[in-house]
Amino acid sequence: MRPVYIVGAGMTRFGRSEWPLVDLAATASLAALHHANLGKIPVDAVVVANMGAGRVNRQTAIASALVDRLSLWPAAAESVENGPASGASAVKVGYQAIASGMADVVLVTGVEMMRAVDGLEATDFVASLSHPEVEYIYGVTLPSLAGLFARLFMERHGVERRHLALVAIKNHDNAMKNPYAHIHQPVTMEGILTSPEAVVNNPPIAEPLHMFDCCPVSDGAAAVVLATQEVAAKIGAPRVLVAGIGQATDTHAVHERQDPTDLKAVRLASAAAFERAGLKPSDIDVAELHDAFTILEIAESEAAGFFKPGQAHKAIERGETQLTGKLPINPSGGLKAKGHPVGATGVAQIVELAWQLRGEAGGRQVAKAKAAYACNFGGFGNNVVATVLRKEER
Amino acid sequence: MSEKVYAFRCTTCGAVSYPKHMICPKCRGEAFEPVEVAGEGAVLTYTDVYALAVDYETRYLRLAIVELDGGMRVTGQLLDEHPRVGKRVRTTVGVVREPADKPIYGLQFVPA
Repeated sequence: MRPVYIVGAGMTRFGRSEWPLVDLAATASLAALHHANLGKIPVDAVVVANMGAGRVNRQTAIASALVDRLSLWPAAAESVENGPASGASAVKVGYQAIASGMADVVLVTGVEMMRAVDGLEATDFVASLSHPEVEYIYGVTLPSLAGLFARLFMERHGVERRHLALVAIKNHDNAMKNPYAHIHQPVTMEGILTSPEAVVNNPPIAEPLHMFDCCPVSDGAAAVVLATQEVAAKIGAPRVLVAGIGQATDTHAVHERQDPTDLKAVRLASAAAFERAGLKPSDIDVAELHDAFTILEIAESEAAGFFKPGQAHKAIERGETQLTGKLPINPSGGLKAKGHPVGATGVAQIVELAWQLRGEAGGRQVAKAKAAYACNFGGFGNNVVATVLRKEER
Repeated sequence: MSEKVYAFRCTTCGAVSYPKHMICPKCRGEAFEPVEVAGEGAVLTYTDVYALAVDYETRYLRLAIVELDGGMRVTGQLLDEHPRVGKRVRTTVGVVREPADKPIYGLQFVPA
């Protein structure tokens, strides 16, 4: 397999899109292409990550539409729909194309425009990924799966609501330093948990999870340009290597898992990514985790191997996951505050980490970041893609 | 219109799956017989969800995962004013969702 490098990364601000779907995707793509500065080197293939355009925006085959908008013909093009893991899956498809020798340059763009519909419809669109016969019919939504998971996980590991609040506070703080974040609003422990007003400020969404435990519904797009070593050298790009990708699935219905608090797919996908990268969790300097719900940042950080089971919330208490801590998690603000346009999220995680490794992350830059990890969590953990990036010194 | 809920017993090894798989996760067998999901068990976890999908008029739904005696787990609606993890419940079948065209029946749990 040939090594694959990230030579360009860009995104739109997350929130509410001022553009139609394909323009949104094209805007992020252009930012990534400008960042890569390919000159006359052609883009061989375009991979688009998207979950719901067919339903939510009534548009299909958007990879072909994106090629057309960017006049990239005759580049190969395909869309990847893999639930909330679509983004990292699309990066994987682009990686495979280059590693196998089928392409030298691939543009991978994730896009989602969920605010085209009201909140009820957006929630239902995402809920349609749950098991149709044994989950969805009961009114299961993603927040409800997270609530069921959180109650069990918290009871087992002694996690309290204040630990969840610490995750939210950290990620909102980080997002304040990210101009691309959906939410620019600092939050405090008093405001969301301990003051009398907190009951009003932070209403329940899926007990024990409250509003500030849940990501917002966002529009947005993110893109990376992947290339061979030869192309990377030609354009003089900093060497951000896609060091390892791992992916694993688990049962569709959460109740069928032997231990529903064990994020087995995160565990297996991460172990595979680390093995391929030749790195250990302790080698990682910065991580982007899939905190669609605060509890998931805690649980994923354990399943990925950064903390022992039951220890992550204690590390958070000690400030270890803050920007200046031992392992900064979600410097971008995470899904919690940067936002979660589902198909774009996995690509946006890679964008943030590429910027971090290039030293281009501005006020949220993690000092001396050399190795990075992303967890893109699909379904409710039934399809997970883990990615390890490494900066090569020249 | 089904007012019963079925799990699937592998005729090769006897393992019961819910939901249905077309290959047995235990023995890779491919033949199954339906077995009714009914009985008592204990609440493994529950939530009151306010972020609802379409088809519901109510303000929130109380959902639970219940571990039935015998070990099989099921997701359903918890009809209990005083929910608690570990509390004994029994299954019933009722209307769990009402899209415009027809009501959908599924598992509900009531105190045992």
